[in-house]
Amino acid sequence: MQWFDALVQGILLGGMYAQYALGMALMFGVMRIVNISHGDLVILLSLIGISIATAWGLGPLPVLVVLVPLAVLMGWVLQKAVLNRVVGSDPLPSLIATFGLSIALQNLMLQIWSANSRSLPGHGIESQSLEIGGIYVGLLPLIVLAVATGLTWCLDLTLKRTRFGRALRAASADVEAAAMTGINPRAVYAMATAAAVGILGFAAVFQALRSTVAPADGPAQLIYAFEAVIIGGMGTVWGAFVGSMVLGISQAIGFRIDPGFGVLAGHIVFLAVLASRPQGLFGKALS
Amino acid sequence: MSAIPYAATEVPEVLVQRQTPSGRIAMALAVLAMIGVAVMPLWASTGTIRSVLVLCCYIAVAQMWNLLAGYAGLVSVGQHAFMGAAGYALFVLAQTYGVDPFVAVFLSLLVPAALAVPIYLLLHRLDGPYFSIGTWVVAEVFRLTASNLPLVNSGAGMSLRVMKDYSAFERNIAMSLLCAGMLLVTLGGSYWLLRSRFGLALIAMRDNPVAAASQGVNVVRLRFLIYVASAVGCGLVGAIYFMAQLRITPGSAFDPMWANVAIFIVMVGGIGSIEGVLIGSLIFFIADRWFGEYGATYFVVLGLMTLLVALYARTGVWGLISKRWDAPWFPIQRKLVDSYR
Repeated sequence: MQWFDALVQGILLGGMYAQYALGMALMFGVMRIVNISHGDLVILLSLIGISIATAWGLGPLPVLVVLVPLAVLMGWVLQKAVLNRVVGSDPLPSLIATFGLSIALQNLMLQIWSANSRSLPGHGIESQSLEIGGIYVGLLPLIVLAVATGLTWCLDLTLKRTRFGRALRAASADVEAAAMTGINPRAVYAMATAAAVGILGFAAVFQALRSTVAPADGPAQLIYAFEAVIIGGMGTVWGAFVGSMVLGISQAIGFRIDPGFGVLAGHIVFLAVLASRPQGLFGKALS
Repeated sequence: MSAIPYAATEVPEVLVQRQTPSGRIAMALAVLAMIGVAVMPLWASTGTIRSVLVLCCYIAVAQMWNLLAGYAGLVSVGQHAFMGAAGYALFVLAQTYGVDPFVAVFLSLLVPAALAVPIYLLLHRLDGPYFSIGTWVVAEVFRLTASNLPLVNSGAGMSLRVMKDYSAFERNIAMSLLCAGMLLVTLGGSYWLLRSRFGLALIAMRDNPVAAASQGVNVVRLRFLIYVASAVGCGLVGAIYFMAQLRITPGSAFDPMWANVAIFIVMVGGIGSIEGVLIGSLIFFIADRWFGEYGATYFVVLGLMTLLVALYARTGVWGLISKRWDAPWFPIQRKLVDSYR
């Protein structure tokens, strides 16, 4: 029963990781860019959300409504001001640029919000639970998982069915050929990053609700998102979702074995997947 | 059928010029500086020796990162994994097993070398930017493993108490010699490597890996060798740095600060050149002394500077200088000169 409980808690934790991983999978799939400040953006949005909630006395839902458009705007500005200048076949400029941004953001947050851990008051929602088959399941983690599933489904459908999704896939397959057919890659990139950071708006609210956030927490979130994407297989949205579940389950079981082993168990599963199936669980084998 | 005779062509006599006046001056200064570092106990106080040691560590780590990112195209953000691993190896050998610490410094380099091989075999499967975060994960794995490993006293860390057998003066002599040796191996070694046949291959690979491979450069093997060499170099820095610190904890051993420092120094100084590393190290060292007290604000400026360099001046300070004046400090080009002139 204890292990079944760890499995369930792991899947719920995976719901949180999926919200980080989706944006990373989208950006890498489209631009071959990894945004090192990915995790710091989550934390920045969380801290802004917490400040808004305390200043205006808002509940979690209104904060979400304010934060997601703000996140979309942030993503768009990030692409226009920084990433559009460094996107290209050489990975070095984009890595260095977002690495610098990450250091600047972390220390700026430290300056504004201090090193204290904060969380978003959920007005009781964070402590409610349901009993399902002898296991107590938190209401909030269930909502997180449901939202993560919904976001993955929406993103997958957007990529498959809409005009924007087709443009994205075309730009990701071959930028120059896409440009010849009348797609403006920079505009597509800006929308992709806006969508990726917009999803982080959801992640920020849920992260601040279910645990605490502090300015130095960003890199850990970046690493979890990255591991989920690699475990699942690069370039597939559902792969990132399943990768998040695998990571969540590994960590939850690791924590049951030894509290010092939880995060390490996730890393070890990631390295094991890399050693045995480098294309990821859902990726196609490289020719 | 008689063989068609070739017209006797005269091969023009040329000399290959490899050194320049600016290079000779810089080399003389570098040798003097190296000797100056080696004999520090004669002219410097313990505090100065500490500062010079830190500066030497910055230069060495930055050059190791430069070798990886600037020549092999492997952008690692986890080289501190090897610094910590060698540091811990030194502490375990000297403190737990009673090996002479000055022998242990060199023995401990086997650990990063042995770890780098499987790690590279695992990580090289990751594409460009994902490779970078993979190296970061490895450093995190090392940190978490050290925090859980009773052999290295878990999260509480270790102290190098055996150093009390040596007087402060003896330790200063050892530290100065180790510092000079570290510079000789990392900077001198890189310079020697870049001037050798391998250097030609490395520079070709830096400019275009595909073209280099078509010219017969074994890019895969060269990348692997550079990764292992850089790991050993970082290990040497780690062993010396933590020997001077006398104390190691998982948090300090695997501190991502070193990745920030290396990236800042190389990017601001100028990637793909030894001169850039020296300039960047001096800029960072002076900035750290003058503005370090501003804490977070100082790091915001550092981060923004790295961002701006990546956006607008990818060749860094040395790139701007060398565009105006053709006076390399460590010339690596081969110039053909007509011997009759």
